[in-house]
Amino acid sequence: MTKGSHSIELKGVDKEYHRDAFTIPVLTSLDLEVAEGEYLALMGPSGSGKTTLLNLIAGLDRATRGEVIVHGQDLGRLSESEITRWRADNVGFIFQTYNLIPVLTAFENVELPLLLTHLSRRARRENVATALRVVGLSGREDHYPRQLSGGQEQRVAIARAIVTDPYLLVADEPTGDLDRATAGEILELLEQLNREFQKTIVMVTHDPLAAERAGRILHLDKGQLVGDVIQGGRVSAAS
Amino acid sequence: MKYLTYVWRNARRNPARSLLTIASTAVCLFLMMILLSFFAINDEVSGSVGVFNRVCVLNANGFAGRIPIAFVNEIAQIDGVRAATPFSWFGGKYHDEILPFAQFGVDADVAFAIMNEFSIPADQLEAFKKTKNGCVIGRKLANERKLKVGDPLPLERDLYPVDLDLTVQGVYDGPTNRDLRMCLFHWGYLDELLKRANAGTTGVAVSGNAGMVFVKCESAARMAALCKTIDDRFRNSDSPTRTQTEEAFGKMFAEMLGDLKGMIRVIGLAVVFSLLCVAANSMAMSMRERTTEVAVLKAIGFGRRLVLALVLTEAVLVAGIGGIVGSFGCKLLCDVVDLSRYSAGFLPFYYIPWPIALEGLAVALAIGFVSGLLPALRAANSSVVDGLRRVI
Repeated sequence: MTKGSHSIELKGVDKEYHRDAFTIPVLTSLDLEVAEGEYLALMGPSGSGKTTLLNLIAGLDRATRGEVIVHGQDLGRLSESEITRWRADNVGFIFQTYNLIPVLTAFENVELPLLLTHLSRRARRENVATALRVVGLSGREDHYPRQLSGGQEQRVAIARAIVTDPYLLVADEPTGDLDRATAGEILELLEQLNREFQKTIVMVTHDPLAAERAGRILHLDKGQLVGDVIQGGRVSAAS
Repeated sequence: MKYLTYVWRNARRNPARSLLTIASTAVCLFLMMILLSFFAINDEVSGSVGVFNRVCVLNANGFAGRIPIAFVNEIAQIDGVRAATPFSWFGGKYHDEILPFAQFGVDADVAFAIMNEFSIPADQLEAFKKTKNGCVIGRKLANERKLKVGDPLPLERDLYPVDLDLTVQGVYDGPTNRDLRMCLFHWGYLDELLKRANAGTTGVAVSGNAGMVFVKCESAARMAALCKTIDDRFRNSDSPTRTQTEEAFGKMFAEMLGDLKGMIRVIGLAVVFSLLCVAANSMAMSMRERTTEVAVLKAIGFGRRLVLALVLTEAVLVAGIGGIVGSFGCKLLCDVVDLSRYSAGFLPFYYIPWPIALEGLAVALAIGFVSGLLPALRAANSSVVDGLRRVI
């Protein structure tokens, strides 16, 4: 698949949650196409369905109706174990609160996804070293998360996300817990990953400044797309 | 193997909680080892005496009944009997000791021919035979009380109305699985003192009682018939007898404790169950604190089976450490410290047999597995989205 073709396609996607006797619609008749290598920001008020959409794209959750096709794979057709394997191979996760394993060092945290592969110990070591170098944390391999700053923790999380060289990076409020300067550095890093390594990135954010770094901004409200902006000009405004 | 670092770090995540779980497992298993080994050793001792071709003659009413001393000579004359000796428990106190060691009044002339697994220097045996208030003691008793030949060994009255002023004439030795803490003295010396004590009284005549008769048989093949012959001989006397092999006698002695074995097994099961609850609660708490982490693991590709295996391994690891400390620690301690000295002569030696220690470890591992099962299943089946929602 070449840059410009659709690597993420959502067709008529509904997502509902069931709480007791209530059915709560979160996403309604959502259609979306994202090109390979695109850097997409999802914005919208709380409860608009941003994280749910992110979870569907990342294969963490399943649509109630409709198709979610990522990198040519219809995620709805995969079994639980298949989709777990698919995530390991194709998706890197970056969370707001970093979600590093506190009892593991930076090196070991980054190595975690590689344990699922058949790589030798030496190859894993090399990959981890490369990932930590990319995020600018060489020399911090033996530090535990508590010994790192927030920005450094998020860099380790990004290293963990990219160490398997996934096709897609999903980030949920990656700068939400960081100060402005550190947030800028993290966003710069994400841009670099998109620009230099052609990673497709889908990022949820409340921060307009963060969203501006993305090539495209989607606005959601009450489970529907209400705006689709490609930086530099408004492309469409979904009703 | 590549996941062991993660499992090990998680096991050490909350050191206080892990140590408490390990300690509770270890202490419970330690006690279980002591109790279970008690019966295992008793069985071993009972089973090991079969080769000596000996039978024990008791009053049919048990230890409370008398065996007239005249029976000993009668029994010794029966065809198939090599020798017979009275074997009368004294149970006196040595200085301020609370637990008595085994003290028996015997016929010095034949005692070591009957208990031929023991060895004693010939000159010491001769001295014992010639000295009315002489006694011989086992090697362990001599070492523990720092007693040597020529030392006085006063035994204060307890069951009987007399004191014994014994003098050590010899120290016997023998296999490690035999009782090396006995004190053997002349039955005649005790009887003489009892006669003097009874003189002019109307109390129950306690003299002339052999207590029990210990008999050496010519061959194992004749033991069963001999038991019947002896009992038939005295069936119509004032003191009918009950004769049984030494092995059966040992088992009967253990059975006198009642169904203690059954009780201990029930208590053991209760202990295992409570341990299970402690370990399961500890593991469940640990996993509840890690809900988000489990969700992250599953998000990045850890499958349900892998998560299940990781949590179970952690639970088995913690319980296994407790099992190793409790089972093997107890075994090591018992190898170093001889607990049999506190059994009042009931057990000649004490150790934790390997099968019991391994059984303890297996119980600990099983506790770990079962206690980890529910938290592991919960973690494996937990929703990634719900887990991540806690922080996102």
